[in-house]
Amino acid sequence: MALEGFGPAFAFWLLSAITLISAGGVMMARNLLHAVLFLIVTFIGVAGFFILLSAEFIAMAQVVIYVGAVAVLILFAILLTPRSARDNSETVWGAPAALLSIALAAVLIFVIHDTAWSETNSFQAPSVEDLGRALLSTWVLPFQLASVLLTAALIGAIMLVRSPEEEAEDALS
Amino acid sequence: MTSAIKSEPFILNIGPQHPSTHGVFRVKVTVDGERILDAEMVMGYLHRSMEKLAEERTYTQNIPFTDRTDYLSSMSNNLGYCLAVEKLAGIDVPDRGQAIRVIMAELQRLASHCMAVGAFANDTGAWQTPVMWAFREREKILDLFEMTAGARLTCNYMRIGGVAFDLPKDFVPMARDLMKTFPAFIDDIDGMLTENEIFLVRTRGVAVISPELAVNGSLAGPMLRGSGIAWDIRKADPYCGYEKYDFDIPIGYQGDSFDRFIVRLEEMRQSVRIVQQALDALPGGPHSTQVPLALRPPAGEAYARVEGPRGELGYYVVSDEGPSPYRFHIRPPSFINLSVLKEMTVGGSVADAIVALGSVDIVVGEIDR
Amino acid sequence: MNLPFLVSDKWYDIRDLGNLSGAILDQLDKVLPYGLVYVIAILIGFIASFLIFVLPTQLFLGVLGERKIIGRIQSRYGPNRVGPFGTLQPIADALKLIQKEALIPTAADRWVMLIAPIVFVAPAVLLFAVLPFGPNMVIADVPVSLIYFLAVSSLPVLGAFMAGWSANNKYSLYGAMRIVAMAISYEVPLVMSLLGVALLSSTLSLQGMVFWQKDVHLWMIFLQPIAFAVYFICVSAELNRTPADIAEAESEIVAGYLTEYSGMQWGLFYGMDIGYALAAAAFASTVFLGGWSMWGLEEYVPSWLIFAVKTQLFYLLFLWTRGTLPRLRIDQLMAFAWKFLLPLALLNLLIVATEKVIWTQEELGDGIVFLFAPINIVAAAVLVYAWAKVNGYRPENTPKKPRMVKDATGYIPASGGGR
Repeated sequence: MALEGFGPAFAFWLLSAITLISAGGVMMARNLLHAVLFLIVTFIGVAGFFILLSAEFIAMAQVVIYVGAVAVLILFAILLTPRSARDNSETVWGAPAALLSIALAAVLIFVIHDTAWSETNSFQAPSVEDLGRALLSTWVLPFQLASVLLTAALIGAIMLVRSPEEEAEDALS
Repeated sequence: MTSAIKSEPFILNIGPQHPSTHGVFRVKVTVDGERILDAEMVMGYLHRSMEKLAEERTYTQNIPFTDRTDYLSSMSNNLGYCLAVEKLAGIDVPDRGQAIRVIMAELQRLASHCMAVGAFANDTGAWQTPVMWAFREREKILDLFEMTAGARLTCNYMRIGGVAFDLPKDFVPMARDLMKTFPAFIDDIDGMLTENEIFLVRTRGVAVISPELAVNGSLAGPMLRGSGIAWDIRKADPYCGYEKYDFDIPIGYQGDSFDRFIVRLEEMRQSVRIVQQALDALPGGPHSTQVPLALRPPAGEAYARVEGPRGELGYYVVSDEGPSPYRFHIRPPSFINLSVLKEMTVGGSVADAIVALGSVDIVVGEIDR
Repeated sequence: MNLPFLVSDKWYDIRDLGNLSGAILDQLDKVLPYGLVYVIAILIGFIASFLIFVLPTQLFLGVLGERKIIGRIQSRYGPNRVGPFGTLQPIADALKLIQKEALIPTAADRWVMLIAPIVFVAPAVLLFAVLPFGPNMVIADVPVSLIYFLAVSSLPVLGAFMAGWSANNKYSLYGAMRIVAMAISYEVPLVMSLLGVALLSSTLSLQGMVFWQKDVHLWMIFLQPIAFAVYFICVSAELNRTPADIAEAESEIVAGYLTEYSGMQWGLFYGMDIGYALAAAAFASTVFLGGWSMWGLEEYVPSWLIFAVKTQLFYLLFLWTRGTLPRLRIDQLMAFAWKFLLPLALLNLLIVATEKVIWTQEELGDGIVFLFAPINIVAAAVLVYAWAKVNGYRPENTPKKPRMVKDATGYIPASGGGR
């Protein structure tokens, strides 16, 4: 589906507005929980962009992973944070950060605008089957490396939350 | 549950308005996540000053008060009080009155254990079904009470020197029919819950009371027997001719919630046995001796105890030869059984605390009096 | 999708309501400006699926059936006062709920509390978009509809979390914490069990799975009983239904994340709980029970009717467990997900992968599934039992009857057949 016609164009602008406003909300919200809720809306907006680009699988993965897992994990982290350290406060870094991000945005827009994009008219969206084949043939090494990394992270997380008693038990056996 | 992550303990009020406190009872628990660090009982929301009120009324007028302490077993409470006054005044009860008292007390135990078993299953999360089944059977017993005493819950049936009325004509056949069908219901509940793996993991090893704690805490009834202690007032200090009936005392293994549950179930089977024997050997004769309405027992004191559904139910009455007791005191089994709640709950999770509270089988009217 | 068989494409063919809506849309397309017809198509799809599926099933079979059937399980009648046989009870309930004031506590996070029911309800409607009601009757035939379903069904957890957090009540917070913990844990075995299904049928499309089951003349439940069992348990946990309703455990934490809600806000949560259960039942009947296909019966009976009946039968399972089972504790539930269900789902995946390799490498025909099915059923029984044994399942070690003594002799230590 190309970005032509009324429907897709309307969807694009709507999604852009939602994503940008909620991304702004993430920064502006004083309440940490509100910031996370805005972040979730941003994730869903990005998933909408993927659908517009005919990448349904990636869109669904975006929702499953970012909304279903990452955001929920962040919520969990907030639940375990002491109330006193929970909310955002004013910092002196606000103005410099704003300047820096404006500069970065300017550079990015400049680059995007000036790049000679190669355009194609015969675009066929890759199916899930193509993705799977690519992951298990051409890109099998990075795929496996990512799996090993995630397993290491998983084991590390378990090690981090073990209680001293459990460690003592393991040392004895 | 146990982790290196530091979390803030906070105080959670379970009750006084809570679905699982069986009345207006409150536990203030300090929790770290789901784990309970401390539990503090707060009671007295239902205090009606019964012991003081009883000092202003005659001995007979006090019987309705005993209905309203443990409102789930009014017959047993009537019985305990009447026994105490009879002991004080030296009144004998005719054989038929004794047998009717035994039948009523055991039917009351069945009704009360129906409630206990059902509510306990409800506390473990079996959404309403066991409690409804138990209520269905309890209603049939309450029907028997209604046709005999005229009331279902607060029967006010026992009198000093016997019982208020003789049994109606239909009572014996109806009670026999009910006792025929009752074991099937107990087997239903038994099969539904004790064969259920989820129920087992929720109750086994939860809220364990060691035999030492059970004795030191002065526990009684299924709470005590669940910890493996063979003790039953009906055997140890028989009253109303309990020595004539053949029944067994069920005792548990390690004193967890599950043991208390199966002890209660088995006690129901034994109660059915007792009622059947009592119905078969129901003697004739008067149901009550004539006792003066304004009874003035000789000065002195008397303590009588019965094995109520919740344990040793004691009544202590002191007379100064006046028409009303000089002092009137109740040993409420719920209140004393509840005293080990902290030991039962600390270290467990919030869900376990609810199971522990359910396994005590409290009646708040009796705790606060 | 190309449909060379089954129903005709005449608009009056009631066996497939997609024809009718298609005919209406074709006519509309000639009159309306470009693009608008898509909007109308979506509207018609949702209205139709609500009218023929969600509304009757949810209101009458969901709310009323739940209360009636659970009433029967509990040996009582259930609602029977409003309307004939109590059929108007759901409407009376809804009217009552709408009249009630929706309270918001002073200390609550007002906006989050107001938005939470909306966040909870919206995905329930979206879920029905990909479920195939018939060969032509699917609102959005997305090629990755399986993943779509998983993605959207992970959203209501956020609504429940927002509800629990914003109410500023300790019981609500407990509910929120529990539901988040459960959602993370049970998502893993759930997806693992569905991986096997996707692997065997070589498609991620729900419609494709129905066609696959129709082509091999065997439902997925017979080929992958483990996956079905794991799916059922996980989905009960995710939907907060007994034995895993710890997030709104009535006897423990009052009503969990719903403690402070009242009026129609509460009603939305309650109604959509049933909506999600129906969606999960519909999903299960699509993936495991052959969806709208029924060994040729769909040629004569409207396929959407077959689908609805299967969904309701599966929904009965939810009611049955709700009426009979006690509730597990949260740590037991977590251990069950990670130590029991996840390894089982992985083993199931291994079996399925092996069979798939044999099937494709040896170029066997579709008939081979009739050999796989008994093997898998036996393997499932053996695996579940063996894995339970490994995990310490010893039912014979539990004395189910108390010891009996004749006399009040004091403490008797438990010996022998003890614990």
